[in-house]
Amino acid sequence: MKAWLTFSPSIVNKAIISNLVKNYDITFNILRADITPKGGKMLIEISGTQQKQAVEFMEKEGIHLNPINKVVKKDEEKCIDCGACISLCPVEAIKPAEDWTVEVDDLKCIGCSFCTNSCPTRAIRVME
Amino acid sequence: MWDIMKTVREINQRIKDGDAVVVTAAEMTAIVRENGAKQAAEEIDVVTTGTFGAMCSSGAFLNFGHSDPPIKMSRTYLNGVEAYSGLAAVDAYLGATQPNRNPDIGLEYGGSHVIEDLIRGNEIELVAEAYGTDCYPLTEIKTQITLESINEAIMVNPRNCYQNYSSATNSTDETLYTYMGTLLPNMGNVSYSSAGELSPLLNDPYFQTIGTGSRIFLCGTQGYIIGEGTQFATEVERRNGVPVSTAGTLMLKGNMKEMHSDYVRGATMPKYGSTLYVGAGIPIPILNEELAQRTAISDEEITCRIVDYGVPRRSKPIVREANYHELKSGVIELNGVEVPTSPLSSQKKALEIALKLKEWIDKGEFLLTIPVEKLPNKGRTVKPLEIQKPRILVKDLKGEALILAHPTDAISEVARRMVQNSINHLPVVDEGNKLLGIVTSWDVANAVAHGKNKLTDVMTKKVIIAREEEPVDVIARRIDKNKISGLPVIDSDNRVKGMVTAEDISRLIGGD
Repeated sequence: MKAWLTFSPSIVNKAIISNLVKNYDITFNILRADITPKGGKMLIEISGTQQKQAVEFMEKEGIHLNPINKVVKKDEEKCIDCGACISLCPVEAIKPAEDWTVEVDDLKCIGCSFCTNSCPTRAIRVME
Repeated sequence: MWDIMKTVREINQRIKDGDAVVVTAAEMTAIVRENGAKQAAEEIDVVTTGTFGAMCSSGAFLNFGHSDPPIKMSRTYLNGVEAYSGLAAVDAYLGATQPNRNPDIGLEYGGSHVIEDLIRGNEIELVAEAYGTDCYPLTEIKTQITLESINEAIMVNPRNCYQNYSSATNSTDETLYTYMGTLLPNMGNVSYSSAGELSPLLNDPYFQTIGTGSRIFLCGTQGYIIGEGTQFATEVERRNGVPVSTAGTLMLKGNMKEMHSDYVRGATMPKYGSTLYVGAGIPIPILNEELAQRTAISDEEITCRIVDYGVPRRSKPIVREANYHELKSGVIELNGVEVPTSPLSSQKKALEIALKLKEWIDKGEFLLTIPVEKLPNKGRTVKPLEIQKPRILVKDLKGEALILAHPTDAISEVARRMVQNSINHLPVVDEGNKLLGIVTSWDVANAVAHGKNKLTDVMTKKVIIAREEEPVDVIARRIDKNKISGLPVIDSDNRVKGMVTAEDISRLIGGD
């Protein structure tokens, strides 16, 4: 799953993430992070068999969890495979295939909408 | 001079006989690399090229037919997009970049979208206005048309198929929306627009076979080159025979009634405007060894400049030079950082077009032409437009006494200084007059309301600035875009030299 984690200032210094990995044997990927002494936000992707327990642990420790359920979709009829979106994607979820077909990877997408706002033919959409 | 090995007439005979050997420009690169240009010239008859890019200088002549009673249309709107009607009674020219007259739609549905809708066979609302004459009494019309119902729809594009085009990046700290697509701040991406080794005019860089009357692939049908395009240049820097920047262009013509939406699309560059994606492909007859060599050019051998669109001037600074092989790899190094690239023109469609053209020739459906006149290959440069009125730079503005604040100043003192001088902004500077931030009367009010005493807590640290050498028009746009009322002027050492306000600029613009 992908989720935004919101940290309050009081828990910024706690080693929650390392405990999470240690205790629940999950794979953890930080996609974006913006942590300051005033708190912070982190976009993560986690997977593993104990994912549910891991989420419960984070919530117990005071992290607010906001799962991302957005999916990116390409309208095959509208898309002209120009590739204007490729370099705008912050997580490399849009890549050209060997034959330059623009391919979007739902699992990588974080729903930032940068591509949708910049598509010349309005062929790419982010949906809940 | 190179010996002529075959003629267009001979090639056409082979096409008719089904014996012509046709390859795409990408295939030709590999063939010449393997067998050499001489053998390739003997074996290959035609090389096909292709491109599918945003070409703003495109449009169509439409003839709507006469109504009863008749009307001499002086203004026409197609789905709300105005077409130029200063022609005979029912002729109009619809330009690809014309925005919608409904401001709520604006750039989202413009001339290029009407062109696509026409080609798709969709119904279009036609609104026409006229002043009425004895022979054309009607003064207004509102009806529906389709591509089939009107007499002619002839695409005539004054400037297509740029021979090469610089890539774009953006050094400023804000996102820019340009005709080269969305450019992320701090050189966060690069967009390039040429099809590289497949691009038509890079395969015949001295126009030895291309000219007025050349039959080509245009938007899914057979169209023609009707001459050189506008902004045509030949006197440019070249490497491996091909220009490193913009040079040759083409004026193209084709019958919209035969076009297919697979190869032509309306589009909108966000916050820039509508534009037409045009699919064009040109066949190049391999008449001699030199043409075999030219059409064998590879992405590695084509240089492309990367320029900084952060400078909104005619000449933009060159960040670096690259070749299309590097650009197409997906990342390019700029100042030591790996930056992602975007093609902007469809590389996939470009190849599709080159293959489609090859298929037509293979089937004997498309014959080559000898141009009536070749395109000029020397003596042409692009002239700039000089603005007669001298350009006013920021440093030319009459500055008033420079009033500043320092980080240690008390809020009350800053407020007093603002009131005494009737100003709303104060640049905050260090001892060396270097800019640290800006404080507005609103910030001061905010400080008082929230009981804050330190200037550094309320000032804005991320300041939008004006540089002394920038034209005032550029600053007017910056003020407008950022919805601010004034900004500090700084010199090359980041020292504050004054303030320029929206009032200063409107006084200047209103004053002449």
